[in-house]
Amino acid sequence: MEKVLLKNTENPNSADINEYKKVGGYQSLPKAFGMQPKEIIEEVKKSGLRGRGGAGFPAAMKWTFASADPKSPKYLLCNADEGEPGTFKDRQILEKNPHLLIEGMVISGYAIGTEYGFIYLRGEYPAAKDILNRAIKQAYDSGFLGDNILGKGVKFQLAVHQGAGAYICGEETALIESLEGDKGQPRIKPPFPVNVGVFAKPTVINNVETLSNLPYIIEVGGEVYSKIGSPECPGPKLYCVSGHVEKPGVYELPMGTTLREIIYTHCGGIKNGKKLKAVIPGGISTPVLPPDNIDCKMDFVNMPKHGSMLGSGAVIVMDETVCLVRVCYRALKFFEHESCGKCTPCREGTEWLRKILGRIENGEGAEGDIDLMLSVSSNMLGKTFCPLGDGAASVVQNFVRHFRPEFEEHVKNAKCRFK
Amino acid sequence: MITITINGKEIKLEKPVTVLEAAKSAGIKIPTLCSHEQLEKYGGCRLCLVEVEKIPRLQTACTLMVADGMVIKTETEQIADVRRGILEFLLINHPLDCPYCDKAGECELQDLVVKYGPATSRFKEKKRKVPGGLEDPILVRNMERCIVCTRCVRMCEGVQGASAIAVINRGGHSHIEPFSGGRFDCEYCGNCVSVCPVGSIMSRLHRHSYRPWQLMSETETICPYCGVGCTLVVQVRDDIIKRVVPRIGTPVNNGLLCSRGRFGYEFVGSKERLTTPLIKKNGMLEQATWEEAISLVAKRLGEIKDNFGSSAMGGIASPRCTNEDNYVFQKFMRVVLETNNIDSTARTGFAGAQGFIENIFGQGATANIIPGLSNSDAVFIIGGDPTAINPILGLQIRACSRGGGNILTIGHIKGLEKFNPVVLKPEFYSETVLLEGIVSALKNKKGLPGSNQKLEAKVKGINTAVEEIGEKCGITEEDFTKFIEILSESSTPSIVIGKEIAQSSGGSYKLLLISAINYLMNARIYLLSERANEQGLLDMGCAPDLLPGYRTLTFAEFRKRYETAWKVSLPEKTGLSIFEMIDAAKNGSLKAVYIMGENPVFNLPNSKAVEEALKNIDFIVVQDIFLTETGKLADVVLPALSWSEKDGTFTNMERRIQRLRKAVNREGMEDWMIIAEISKNMGAKFNYSEAEDVFKEIARVSPLYRDMTYEEIEKGDAIYPYKGEPLRGVTEEIQVHNPPEPPLSKGGLRGIAAGKLYLRLERPLFHSGTLSRKAPALVNIYPEAVARISLATAKSLSLKAGDIVKVSTKIGSLELPVEIDKKVDSSAIMLSNNFEDKGAFSLMEYTIDPVIKAPCLDGNEAKIEKVK
Amino acid sequence: MFSEAAIKELEEIRQKYPSARAALLPAIYIAQKEFGWLSQDAYEAVANALGVPKAIARGVGTFYAMYKHKPLGRNIVQLCTNVSCMILGAERLVDFLKNKYGLEPGGTTPDGRFSLVIMECIGACGTAPAMLVNDDFYENLTEEYIEEILGKYK
Ligand SMILES: Cc1cc2nc3c(=O)[nH]c(=O)nc-3n(C[C@H](O)[C@H](O)[C@H](O)COP(=O)(O)O)c2cc1C
Ligand code: SF4
Ligand code: FES
Repeated sequence: MEKVLLKNTENPNSADINEYKKVGGYQSLPKAFGMQPKEIIEEVKKSGLRGRGGAGFPAAMKWTFASADPKSPKYLLCNADEGEPGTFKDRQILEKNPHLLIEGMVISGYAIGTEYGFIYLRGEYPAAKDILNRAIKQAYDSGFLGDNILGKGVKFQLAVHQGAGAYICGEETALIESLEGDKGQPRIKPPFPVNVGVFAKPTVINNVETLSNLPYIIEVGGEVYSKIGSPECPGPKLYCVSGHVEKPGVYELPMGTTLREIIYTHCGGIKNGKKLKAVIPGGISTPVLPPDNIDCKMDFVNMPKHGSMLGSGAVIVMDETVCLVRVCYRALKFFEHESCGKCTPCREGTEWLRKILGRIENGEGAEGDIDLMLSVSSNMLGKTFCPLGDGAASVVQNFVRHFRPEFEEHVKNAKCRFK
Repeated sequence: MITITINGKEIKLEKPVTVLEAAKSAGIKIPTLCSHEQLEKYGGCRLCLVEVEKIPRLQTACTLMVADGMVIKTETEQIADVRRGILEFLLINHPLDCPYCDKAGECELQDLVVKYGPATSRFKEKKRKVPGGLEDPILVRNMERCIVCTRCVRMCEGVQGASAIAVINRGGHSHIEPFSGGRFDCEYCGNCVSVCPVGSIMSRLHRHSYRPWQLMSETETICPYCGVGCTLVVQVRDDIIKRVVPRIGTPVNNGLLCSRGRFGYEFVGSKERLTTPLIKKNGMLEQATWEEAISLVAKRLGEIKDNFGSSAMGGIASPRCTNEDNYVFQKFMRVVLETNNIDSTARTGFAGAQGFIENIFGQGATANIIPGLSNSDAVFIIGGDPTAINPILGLQIRACSRGGGNILTIGHIKGLEKFNPVVLKPEFYSETVLLEGIVSALKNKKGLPGSNQKLEAKVKGINTAVEEIGEKCGITEEDFTKFIEILSESSTPSIVIGKEIAQSSGGSYKLLLISAINYLMNARIYLLSERANEQGLLDMGCAPDLLPGYRTLTFAEFRKRYETAWKVSLPEKTGLSIFEMIDAAKNGSLKAVYIMGENPVFNLPNSKAVEEALKNIDFIVVQDIFLTETGKLADVVLPALSWSEKDGTFTNMERRIQRLRKAVNREGMEDWMIIAEISKNMGAKFNYSEAEDVFKEIARVSPLYRDMTYEEIEKGDAIYPYKGEPLRGVTEEIQVHNPPEPPLSKGGLRGIAAGKLYLRLERPLFHSGTLSRKAPALVNIYPEAVARISLATAKSLSLKAGDIVKVSTKIGSLELPVEIDKKVDSSAIMLSNNFEDKGAFSLMEYTIDPVIKAPCLDGNEAKIEKVK
Repeated sequence: MFSEAAIKELEEIRQKYPSARAALLPAIYIAQKEFGWLSQDAYEAVANALGVPKAIARGVGTFYAMYKHKPLGRNIVQLCTNVSCMILGAERLVDFLKNKYGLEPGGTTPDGRFSLVIMECIGACGTAPAMLVNDDFYENLTEEYIEEILGKYK
């Protein structure tokens, strides 16, 4: 497959505007401006583009809602908070192909009728911040941003807003709060951001990868784009693979490539010829899969059928040397650290689960602790304010579901065999 | 109409509300913790989760808006489990110190756990440790108990507008802190205490001194402090007030209180209270019996009346006493002593300003409903900080701003600075020019409406150009134009007037100009009132020129009505105002004065001169709850019962008559009762056996309170005119006094400010005249008098915060610490009048505005120098 | 109090947003740079500069993990130990930092040269284990490599 998102990124200067232009960059912009905003949204609808931030929400639908709201100004926010552990795909675009994102944002800004865009960039990406700022400046200087883009009277102002270390700010309403200068705690929905978003104005929030698809969709048309990968959710997809594979990294493949193909064909299989023990397919919030369940197509539609989710496409591969109790414990430590504290079950439940996991891992677990964990997590599941708490609860439930004997062994032997 | 079903019960709703509200309206209770009717929706605790048909996920009832056809279940097996689960989560880190916690018995968490909660703990680890929060003298934080419902923070930020506390950290480390992390730097409204569902933020005033179930009584009454007249509930055990709390649904304050109302009650139980009458013997006040004291007063007053005539006697009434007290007092003065020499400290501004404005617009012009302020689209404020003087009214202004209304202020107003005020800050002594400018600009924009010829005649000729404002007030054209634009475009404006207007040079002229603005804008006026019953006292006729119900004394027709009612003939001559009484004392023509619940030696400007004047008087009776500065000069001191120890009524600034109720038993007599006893001793028949009898008489004779009863008052909304005659119309010509230049002017308007300092009165939130200094909590918050100066003054005199300085004027000096405040005028030294021996009034001379008869306190030039 | 330069920077940033409040996060970053860490005074400066209540500014600031609320060393070693890094040995590196440099999580070396902050995922999972030293990324860490890297920071 021709690379769309990571095109030219082997070039060490790929972040420069001239390099980007050399490979056809900023060619979709004039084309888009030649279309009516509605037509662009129509193309995107045809393309079948679904959000790459994790939830897979159809992009065109959000845009339609926002453009229909009479309030102004409107805002376009790019979610570059990429905090889901295991995920490093957006960083590739941000650091190596920033102009692709900028071009994508200008196009969608034009389509939705927004004049202001912000890239909410996680604080942990200082390099990306500099690169983005440089790219934005270049784009302004070249007339791709500003008050009169390409001399066509189109306005779009773009700035980077840096987060400061909070995973929850990836959740769209928490992101809005954070951008407004508040704690990143999710808001009550409805109203939805498309109607009452940042600064109480209609707001579209899309992931970096989602927006980066735009220039290509305009270039080839929605029809052609929709033929790539899975028919229900087409397009190129960035899969980022880490852990025990020979060649970890970010792979741009057609949506719906199977997990097995990703691990064995593209990443060269399990490192050092070891045995595969478990895979987390879409970032640690997504349910873990045992080795016999990796023939699933990695897309929004098929993954749930296999008991997991596509999430951010962050594949974490674990070989036989890994203690899964410890992985589960570490995951809960993450959720505990990142719980925003707004709702009771998440604030208290993540801490409690981490404590129980800690004692099991340390050989201090008691009879009944595993069931206690299941009970605590089911008291969380479906009761939290936002999906973060659900994620934490389901991590525990899925690790126990697939690997209960390993937990039991820790309790019974009062120690961890992998230490 | 929206129809929904909850637990099989059909509910019809007029407008969309939350499921929680809908359930409540149908008597279905859904447990909640973070939700609170006074606060913004939150949805954090998750206790109110319910099942909604067609929505797979459980929904929080407190945030979900009903939609037609919605089918909701709140009492299923699953929901019971959810509630148990949430409560278990809340308890894992919550200390089980209920036996020790003051909140036990009224803790929402405890109650819920009793109802739904887990019986045993499955949590084995140690509970979280959270840093303590015991540093503050008033507000005790127990953060281990905090369940992070954020009610306190939402109250502090969203309702009180103080934003003094916030949630610190995140997740399990979240807890609530004031900025310092220890002591609060806030308005001490204590509204956070009201909304905390558990024992996390509590008042130190009653710490570990009782359990809620040991409270013997709860009495709803009215706050003793300011003219807003908040309803508060006094909780008592063993005749000691343990706590004062607000109640949701009361008309004025609806669940909110300010620092004075909530924490200022301790004066009632003060050990310094007077317990027996005192009689001066050989220059010393000695304890005496009631019989001795009353007969002595009766005898001496009788003698003086016989020897010097009625006009040699005067009476000072009290804005802290009830309507009943004040009514009986003025009746005593008029009927028994036969003089109209009755006045009060309302004369220091409120009475004159109100009279002036009502003379233009008719009676009731300053009586507007307080909660209505928040619905204005613009509030114009001049002459004082409403958030300090009348805090609960101030909250309505903040709410107005939050709702998108414009706040327009003349001068810097501290309590509103965070509420996007549009400020015009005129140079010292140029307020009048600015007001003329505003009137001129509004006239040009809107034209004269033609409905009030008298007023128009007075303002027709005013034409002050923008240039003149720039020149004299130091205000740019841009700022002025913006101000006028916002003001003139508002359609429901309000005007809030503080006492500084009446107390500054050209006070009556300024009031004319403000009245003109009111007229041109068709606005509503709010006249700030510092004392709880300032309005009621005037209603009762405690004024030298007015009979009860504002009936002008010099009108024979009005006099006749009271002569018939009281079966006497009344003195015809207008009496002396409080300041004229002081003058009369000075020149020896006033021989006796009866002072009820007032402390003129402290509360009147030039207080040293007042003291000297009073010393000239042959016979002084002071009736009070403490031995005040004035009491020390008295020949007879009579101990009165205080607020919360007596029944009666107060009338607030909206003219809402409200019931003051007895909450504490104490031996002694109410003020009216003492007066009645003395009257009887002097041969008059004052036959009342309880306060209600007095009120019945008021309702019979006063046209404003006609036919009103305690029973009607209980129902709320007793705002007069009730059933009686219409209010007094406009009767007199408009007179104003507009001194061409400030009284002490030497070098023209601007010249006065250059390089000179002037003493100005500060009116702090935490104090209120002299009563608050007997309330330890308030003294703890604001412990001593300080002189506040600008950064510029501090710099030029090399002063730093905390230095002890000597502030002196022509008439005296005081030593006190200095504080530096960026927002203070560079020409001002701010000093309050609340602390013994350190009152600003001891340094302030005054002149009297001949129209409104209020003291002008401007132009007290002062020096400040470092002592150490 | 902010320096002139800081005030200027803040002014520029302020222009990007429709409200002063929205500039709070960047303003706290500026304060952190200016004062080294976020003391009460630093928050007061931020609050005054933006007209945001100071308790609110501090409440917001303490929510975020990358704002420092105590003085730290000259160089901040931010080591990720989240799952991808953990399974490739990040925890051993924590032990190494402790044994070799006396550097405990959350702690600072006695000479004030380094502080260690344990990070959640920093987006370098494909090249795990990884860390940031100040603003610089380092990936595929080993004990030897860490020694070499830290040598560069004084
Ligand atoms: C806890 C949580 C964390 C999230 N983190 C991210 C993230 O880091 N990046 C992202 O793009 N979306 C994240 N999301 C999803 C966003 O809420 C939102 O769905 C997304 O930005 C929408 O963009 P898309 O439609 O282009 O995917 C997160 C959601 C949740 C609940
Ligand atoms: S506003 Fe006035 S009346 Fe109300 S509680 Fe406060 S002091 Fe009392
Ligand atoms: S009351 Fe509804 S979530 Fe707390």
